[in-house]
Amino acid sequence: MISEKNITCVVCPIGCKILVKIDETQLETVEGNKCKKGIEYVKNEVFDPRRMLTTSVLVNGGEWPLVSVKSSKPVPKEKLFSILKEIKKTVVNAPVKSAQIIIKNTANTEINIVATKTVKKS
Amino acid sequence: MKNFQVAVIGGGVIGSAIARGLSKYKLDVAVFEMGCDVASGASKANSGVVHSGINSPNSSLKARFCVEGNKMFQSLANELGFPLQWVGKYVIAKNEEEVRDLERLKKVGMKNNVPGLEIKNGSEVKKKEPNVLCLKALWVPTAGIALPYDFTIALAENAAENNVRFFLETKVTGLKKQKNLFLITTNSGDFQAEVLVNAAGLNCREVVSMIEKPDFQVYPCRGEYLVLDKSYSSLINSMIYPVPVKDLGVLGVHITPTIEGNILLGPSAEFIDDPYDKRNTNETMNNLFLEARKIIPSLPDKAVINAYSGIRCKLAPPESGGWADYRIEESKNIPGFINLLGIESPGLTAAPAIAKEIIKMISHLIELKKKNSYKSIIHRRKRFSDMTAEEKSNLIKKDERWGRIVCRCEHVTEAEVIEALSNPLGARVLSSVKYRCRAGMGRCQGGFCTQHIVRIMEEHFNMDVNDMKLKSLNSNLFYGKTRGNQSD
Amino acid sequence: MVKPEVIKVIEKTVDVAVIGGGPAGLASAVSAREHGAKNVVIIDRNNWLGGILPQCIHDGFGVEETGTSMTGPEYAEMYIEKAEKQGIDVMKETMVLQFDKKREIVAVNKRGLHKIKTSAIVLAMGCREKTRWNVMIPGDRPSGIYTAGVAQAFINLYNIMPGKNVIILGSGDVGLIMARRLKFEGANVLGVVEILPYASGLPRNVVQCLEDYDIPIFLNHTVTCINGKERVKQVIIAQVDEKMNVISGTEKKIECDTLLLSLGLITENELVNNVGIEIDNTTGGPAVNQYFETTLSGVFACGNCLQVYDTVDVLATDAKKAGKNAAKNLTIKRKDNKIITKVLPGRGVRHVVPQIISEPGKVHLTLRVEKPIESSVLHVIADDKEFLKKRLLWVNPANMIGVDIDIPLDLMTTTQNLEVMLDDF
Repeated sequence: MISEKNITCVVCPIGCKILVKIDETQLETVEGNKCKKGIEYVKNEVFDPRRMLTTSVLVNGGEWPLVSVKSSKPVPKEKLFSILKEIKKTVVNAPVKSAQIIIKNTANTEINIVATKTVKKS
Repeated sequence: MKNFQVAVIGGGVIGSAIARGLSKYKLDVAVFEMGCDVASGASKANSGVVHSGINSPNSSLKARFCVEGNKMFQSLANELGFPLQWVGKYVIAKNEEEVRDLERLKKVGMKNNVPGLEIKNGSEVKKKEPNVLCLKALWVPTAGIALPYDFTIALAENAAENNVRFFLETKVTGLKKQKNLFLITTNSGDFQAEVLVNAAGLNCREVVSMIEKPDFQVYPCRGEYLVLDKSYSSLINSMIYPVPVKDLGVLGVHITPTIEGNILLGPSAEFIDDPYDKRNTNETMNNLFLEARKIIPSLPDKAVINAYSGIRCKLAPPESGGWADYRIEESKNIPGFINLLGIESPGLTAAPAIAKEIIKMISHLIELKKKNSYKSIIHRRKRFSDMTAEEKSNLIKKDERWGRIVCRCEHVTEAEVIEALSNPLGARVLSSVKYRCRAGMGRCQGGFCTQHIVRIMEEHFNMDVNDMKLKSLNSNLFYGKTRGNQSD
Repeated sequence: MVKPEVIKVIEKTVDVAVIGGGPAGLASAVSAREHGAKNVVIIDRNNWLGGILPQCIHDGFGVEETGTSMTGPEYAEMYIEKAEKQGIDVMKETMVLQFDKKREIVAVNKRGLHKIKTSAIVLAMGCREKTRWNVMIPGDRPSGIYTAGVAQAFINLYNIMPGKNVIILGSGDVGLIMARRLKFEGANVLGVVEILPYASGLPRNVVQCLEDYDIPIFLNHTVTCINGKERVKQVIIAQVDEKMNVISGTEKKIECDTLLLSLGLITENELVNNVGIEIDNTTGGPAVNQYFETTLSGVFACGNCLQVYDTVDVLATDAKKAGKNAAKNLTIKRKDNKIITKVLPGRGVRHVVPQIISEPGKVHLTLRVEKPIESSVLHVIADDKEFLKKRLLWVNPANMIGVDIDIPLDLMTTTQNLEVMLDDF
């Protein structure tokens, strides 16, 4: 069963609009890209789309009420909102150091949520 | 306390001036203001001009109270410590017909006892105002500028300090006269008063209709303004007005400097149906901007930093020319019910004189005994940004919060923000900070300082973010916290 | 009578004073130190360093510089640590009130008034956001109208939610990032309104902030009215034509409680108004030479107060040059017959930095074009003679362009103005 998908490549500022024809687990055709990087990009986008997640976590007793965090690696796109849900319930105690692991193996992705800021005790 | 001797409905410049005048006497006075702060209506949304009186017809109340009020302004400014500048006004004529209007205006002015009026040649005007081109101009030296919100707040806070009770966020919903007392129903409870003063501005008719049939109509007329950044303050030195537009009974679009160094363009004049329609319109903003571009052709868009509008309470419709005199009178059917109707321009100027007249009227109803404890002179502190190095250092030594600047554009300190929020009226909306210490009125319009003011409200005043408002009851700033809400 | 002791002013003397501790201030201070300045001070009005970076919790910073994509706070901490290690003095929560031609700075903080005498000043005050009235959007004046940066600060720094049902005006990167941020925090992002026929932010952000979440973008549209007497209730959007005029009859009402404005940035240069430093009216920032020195000897400018940059990496590169030059204090020799060449933006070019070439040698020009062109040629014309020609592809105003030129001495002595222009190819 062949399906079609329109994907905007984000590798460089040009942003080629690429039309992909997919047959189950294979890329049949790729049209519209101006360079090879586009093909690699759409392959990932179609079969394993991932995103870097950045958000914030509530801090207890810190000089700031929140600590900014990021996923240690891009997370699977479809798990984004369940990860956000887990993050929303989390509270961490000050002091928090940048790079400190806040949540280990979030939503069973084997990816950690780490602090990107240092928050001292208030 | 529920029983008062005098109840004033309306905490605008008129109500506040009356309250302040009454506070000199041993009286229990209440002011009911439906807004979250005084000066919530037209009192803050005007040009801040202290008019000379040339624009009102001879023998009108407008003329009388304007000229009288004008004379009272300087000593009032000295007592209350609000800034006032006698910058003067040029009414400019571009052609011979307009020059004839100038001469008529001068005659009216002279009959109103306005001093110092002089018709000058275009070349003379250009020496003082290099950006202004005209054939001739009427020079009006007794025209001045003040900050209308600052003036109103000074009056109200002085009254509060002398024991007048201000009930903010309090709307009068019902009135009844029972024997010699007025029963006043509000959303903050029921009250009683011997004398009732209707200084409700645009809502004056609504108030009258609570107790008797009004014999007048109110025709709301909106005036829009644009505010230019301080960097254009050298555009003009005095007020520049065109010859008055004859038909609408309004003053026409003019260019006014402000005490703080901004430039005001406006007001426009548009009769509207909805008295609460305070919007700024595309057409008027463009027209006002074009007017300014006539004087500075290269004026960039970023020169406009703010816009606002005020609604005039007119008693005459556009068909009749839109001009009507003030009605300041005790109700014929209901003794003790004093009405101030149609108080539009020159209302700010007239306020002290009108207040004097109202107090005279009240003295015929209640015996007025002077207070010994009356605090008449309030020395208001200078702004940090206007202080000398020595004054700054000394203040910071006493309280280090004078050393932390919260509003970058206007150099307003944390101490001033705290003082503003600690006002004796209990006003705690964001605009009460703005109108008292100027934080948020600069070129970035709160882009930098709002977060710091919010932190001060949270930390110093223990305010909940859900209770923080911009200016009115339902103008909430936020929707709770992003994390750690009860509902999470 | 004994005069009470009054400490009027706390005085100090430094080699380089940097006004602003954001990315430009930090990079220039560190660079100044690295190039020999012994006594360097950073003065910042906030009680944190990093300027806007701590609230930019998304990634994409420092890719060119470090090879890794950092978040704003991480990038800031990297520089703050460097500055600490180098013993750079920091005055936080300190506002510079003014400085004069002798480079004496007056600043204030909770300890009192300060006078800082310095051999070189680096201006790094950054910028402010354009507001609703700068573009005169008609309508009521309710609460719920926020510039994107302010909304970002409330969400990311203070744990405060500025709105629930949001319309964003402007599809630059800040607006797009905020669309996603709001979505993550449970807001209903109703759409992004963009006056141009294309999104002005990076394609990556269009995909990862809008497409990923099915947030619509209304291209060729603008907000024509804001309604709501107390809090925003509704905005009206309408389509515009190629000349950006509203096409009447295309108005659409959108019920919302928040309007986020991402209209662009304005350079912040109030401090230089009374010191006689020449300002470029297009950038809004000081006119500088290739050493980032302004027309006041010993005063340098970098970062967003000089011109609005797209990425922190390019900004930091220039800021480092400014810091280095402040340390070496290369000053323009101020003789009346001093030869300088002006660099002017010509046809197709909005602005160019530097605006002044004070010495021959290699100069790196940064410029912005007026409109997007697929294929174009950049010309550098020296008094009517073509000096340089370069083919450029895919230029657009949202991406600053860098061009290297080499100015020989004989060109400088004969040429008053260098004009930089762009033509279709």
